[in-house]
Amino acid sequence: MEDREFDRLLKIARLKLNDTERKRIKSDIEEIIGYFDKIDVISTHERPAYQPIHVPTRLRKDEIAHFDDVDGLKRQSKLHNGYILGPKL
Amino acid sequence: MASHIREFLGHEKPSDYYSKLAEELERTNSEYHAFNVIKKDTEAKNQVPFSTKANICVKGVETTAGSKMLRGYVPPFNATVVERMLKEGSFSFIGETNMDEFGFGTFGINTEVPARNAFDSRYAAGGSSSGSAVATALLKYHVAIAESTGGSISTPAALNGVVGFTPTYGAVSRYGLIDYANSLDKIGIMARSSDDARGVFDVIRGRDNYDVTCAIEKITNNKKGKLFVIEELLEKADPKIRSEFERLLDKLGKEYEIKTISMNILSDAIEPYYIIAMAEASTNLAKYNGYKYGFQYGEFNRRYNDFFTEARSNFGMEAKRRIILGTFIRSESVKARYYTKALMIRQMIINEMGKVLKDGFVISPTLPIPTPKIADVEKLTPVQNYALDVFTIPPSIGGFPHLTFPYAYVNEMPIGAQIITEQANDYALLDFSSKWEESFQYKYKHNIGSL
Amino acid sequence: MKIGLEVHVALPTKSKLFCSCSAEAEEPNTAICPICLGFPGSKPMLNEAAVTSALGIANALHCKINRNISFVRKVYFYPDLPKCYQITQTDGSVGGEGYLEIEGKKVRIRRVQIEEDPAQIVREGLLTLLDFNRSGTPLVEIVTEPDITSEEELRSFIANLRSILYYLGVDINKEIKADLNISLADIRVEVKNVTGIKSLIEATRFEIERQTQLIKEGSPIARETRGYNEKSKLTESLREKETDEEYGYIYEPDLTTFDINGMGFRQAVYIGEIAEKLAQGSDLNPKTIREITMLDSRSLELINKFKAEYKLRSIVHAIERYKKYGGEEAPSDDVIEKMTKLVEEDKIITRETVQDLKAGKQVAIEYSKLSGDQLDKLIRDFLDKNPKIVAEYKRNSKTINLIIGKITEKNGLHPKDVAKRVVEILSGY
Repeated sequence: MEDREFDRLLKIARLKLNDTERKRIKSDIEEIIGYFDKIDVISTHERPAYQPIHVPTRLRKDEIAHFDDVDGLKRQSKLHNGYILGPKL
Repeated sequence: MASHIREFLGHEKPSDYYSKLAEELERTNSEYHAFNVIKKDTEAKNQVPFSTKANICVKGVETTAGSKMLRGYVPPFNATVVERMLKEGSFSFIGETNMDEFGFGTFGINTEVPARNAFDSRYAAGGSSSGSAVATALLKYHVAIAESTGGSISTPAALNGVVGFTPTYGAVSRYGLIDYANSLDKIGIMARSSDDARGVFDVIRGRDNYDVTCAIEKITNNKKGKLFVIEELLEKADPKIRSEFERLLDKLGKEYEIKTISMNILSDAIEPYYIIAMAEASTNLAKYNGYKYGFQYGEFNRRYNDFFTEARSNFGMEAKRRIILGTFIRSESVKARYYTKALMIRQMIINEMGKVLKDGFVISPTLPIPTPKIADVEKLTPVQNYALDVFTIPPSIGGFPHLTFPYAYVNEMPIGAQIITEQANDYALLDFSSKWEESFQYKYKHNIGSL
Repeated sequence: MKIGLEVHVALPTKSKLFCSCSAEAEEPNTAICPICLGFPGSKPMLNEAAVTSALGIANALHCKINRNISFVRKVYFYPDLPKCYQITQTDGSVGGEGYLEIEGKKVRIRRVQIEEDPAQIVREGLLTLLDFNRSGTPLVEIVTEPDITSEEELRSFIANLRSILYYLGVDINKEIKADLNISLADIRVEVKNVTGIKSLIEATRFEIERQTQLIKEGSPIARETRGYNEKSKLTESLREKETDEEYGYIYEPDLTTFDINGMGFRQAVYIGEIAEKLAQGSDLNPKTIREITMLDSRSLELINKFKAEYKLRSIVHAIERYKKYGGEEAPSDDVIEKMTKLVEEDKIITRETVQDLKAGKQVAIEYSKLSGDQLDKLIRDFLDKNPKIVAEYKRNSKTINLIIGKITEKNGLHPKDVAKRVVEILSGY
């Protein structure tokens, strides 16, 4: 894998690696992709199985229910006047 | 073997039983690291202790899925399985068990402090439900709610000599399960007997209005007279494992017709499995960014891209590897070649295995090698490591129920075998192993909480 | 010139798209739960009403309706997106290959898809504050082909879309978000996240002018993504935007492929066509009828109810007067009928008339009869007191109606009597 492509993937995934990690992960990934390429020789006309079982249609009725621990949700993050604080835009 | 649950419930216990249990568990845990959290102030009254894998949300209990990214995450809700266990009344929660980060591992070592094999702490516990298996092998009366994506129940159960039951995909609600790969994740059970596993299964399974994929309602018990051994897979087993397994087949041969068959497509199950798993995992892990829950990066003056990138450094090595690979696989330019193709191969596997499983169970060793030492596992490359999932991936990718049971002890370490059946025929597996337990006594080194 | 749109509108459901939280809440972060916050372990459950509502829209836009729908994960990193992937639709959308007619021309609709809205960002100084009440509310995205070729057509498109959606319970006057793509030459320029109809028109106008200028100068037009700044009314180049390569769509495995065959939905009301039909043989033009009915389904009901008995013009006039004086409350059949009768009797409807009718009082309007001299004096007094109005009339004689209106209303006079005298008297000013 070209360095440029590898860097592009890191950027999309919002990851940064130190030198040791980079060296190891890059070569691992090349090896793994090589391993995945083995499926090229399999010929198939099946439809993609997005799930292993048939999942029948089931929809939720449009009814309002209040979650019973909103404070428990908000307690997980930093708050400011009832808002959840996020990073700078 | 009788049900431990029934035995326990029918027995007088001293009033300080649960506090003593927690104390002893705490002590033993410092060597085996089965638990991330042990509940000390239990109000249990004649209830069977149960543990949950650390990727299953328990209200008010720090649930990290083995990841630094989730340190400090205290779910404000219970997973459906937890809710059902508590509501049933016979069970009390004792703690959350160790695991590979987000379930990414075969041996339990991809986390800060790995769990250790309950039979010998120099050895690997197996993964990713490492703690569930070790806890089950440590505690005399206990059941574990574990989870498997590609063998994470079977492998550690086999290495710790316990029963590991992975139900059909969609038989048990995943609501409250911290996702690894949504189309592969299955909540299951570890126990010291098949009857216990069955008891828990009946409590946790069934339709849930919070998980549309929980769609397997009716569970059957179609008994099978044949056991199929798949040639292509058995070839991958180490000779020592193979010879032990042959001995098992000899024993089973008295009751079942044993047939070796060829199923070519299963030589290529590992690649599509990991492709699907990584594609889905890389989307599931996008949400961990250091401000909504869990790890707090805190530098709110940093621009969001830098903020996210810094925060996400806390993922472990294997998680990073899988995020990068998953991101690659999903790229529009290669998606058809990897992701879509893998899904098509999954359908082929489902079709072919489905046909065979109509006629009989598929049986195999659970792991192709004897229990490895932790030090040896650390030397494996990812591809070498993934290849060791050879027996657990076929049922996992196809959503078929499978069950691991201990069948031999070599150098005082347990060895497990795995049987697979058709989708929704889960009871037949439990019946199979119940029968096995009539003639085979499971052995444990620890029996914490004995009466 | 080619203009294509991706219009996002909120679907009129009580609860959110994938959870039972209310889709409307005031205080920040009160209508939230593990699902719309994307908490680890949570899973989505699809809201039936969002599907039926989106189906109604797809049907109204003459789309082919898909029997099976599914969802995808679109991955991108932004602080307002709780899971850092949005659950949306691509190939498995509700419908596609439709059109919307604007003045004899069809603007093709590529796709109608359901998706979840991210959280609301509030900026306070350098702080990014997040309100997840909006997170997970259902949207429908309507994607057009680049068939719009002028600002005029864009206006017509929006006006027609607005009326169609209005009759399906969606008011885009309240909220609309759109991405535009505009190409004057062969280069496609995208303008992202334009909010509100007014901004949409302004952004288009600015972008057309900007590109025209560049072409005139012989400067190249960059293929890029721009944003619209509501304050400066300019479009400006944006940070790099992700492409499909980066979004890395995959099937949403927490949901399924839903069989929606046979699901019911609301039928479309095409105001344009209805107005044409009503206008035939009436004394009103279709545009007037369209305007009064476009954003008020009650108006259409009233017209349909009374059109056999009264002149269309009278009904419309009565409704207009009611809108002016009747307050927020929807008009009752009875009030409108009485008002229509008054209009037909050539009587003036004042604020008092409407209030009295609403209060159930008898209204008997008798015009004052004045002698020629008295009337002239009244008119002269009014004109003397309002030199500005007179000056305005000298510039623009159409303001005569305003003057007549003021004098008649004030004194309970018949407009025809006033009109004759006012013109004569004004000519002497």
